[in-house]
Amino acid sequence: MAKKMTIALFSGSVDKLTAAGVILGGAAAEDMEVDIFVLLQAAFAFKKENALTNDRVAELTDKKEDFLASLKRLEAPHWTEAFKTAKEMTTVRIHICGFAGKVWGGEKLDDFIDLADDIVGIGEYIDAAEKADINLFI
Amino acid sequence: MTTEELKALKVDKTVDARGTSCPGPLLAAKKAIGELQPGQVMEVLSSDEGTKRDIPKWCTKKGYEYLGTVEESGYFRIYLKK
Repeated sequence: MAKKMTIALFSGSVDKLTAAGVILGGAAAEDMEVDIFVLLQAAFAFKKENALTNDRVAELTDKKEDFLASLKRLEAPHWTEAFKTAKEMTTVRIHICGFAGKVWGGEKLDDFIDLADDIVGIGEYIDAAEKADINLFI
Repeated sequence: MTTEELKALKVDKTVDARGTSCPGPLLAAKKAIGELQPGQVMEVLSSDEGTKRDIPKWCTKKGYEYLGTVEESGYFRIYLKK
């Protein structure tokens, strides 16, 4: 049976979203089943109008330009691409937290990038986390 | 296997993932292995240091046979059998 992972994805910053994308790649290589719960600030990054333009970083903010330039130099895929690749290779379900969506003015699934599968309540996260082998908070 | 034995292997598929960063080579290997028949040999070219350890671990978990790694100048050739 496939191992299960949940990610409580709180961050809306490209540094942490990029790290989440790398972890997702590792999970995809091993055919893990992943449920991602997009919480508060991450819901901002998942909104259609923000996903590609948002370039905020959470850490080492004074090194932001170096960091973004390095991602380009290393041809690292944008986090949305990394998430998409993982979705193509294994089961990855992306759930937008209903409350988080509302915080950023997103009421409908259509307000978010196509990677998002549904809008859910926190009970779904607790339920998935109880059943998972690995639970991450990013 | 020795370096000479690895270099003499009949390779059924080569995946050139040089230039991609982690987890690029691992994902390239995972994508390509579906095209192989059991018993066939795949060679993964990677310039990413982490891949040297990731591929053997991945092979163990997925039931593939890791055959060995040859260091070239600036990259590695990693061999495995499906």
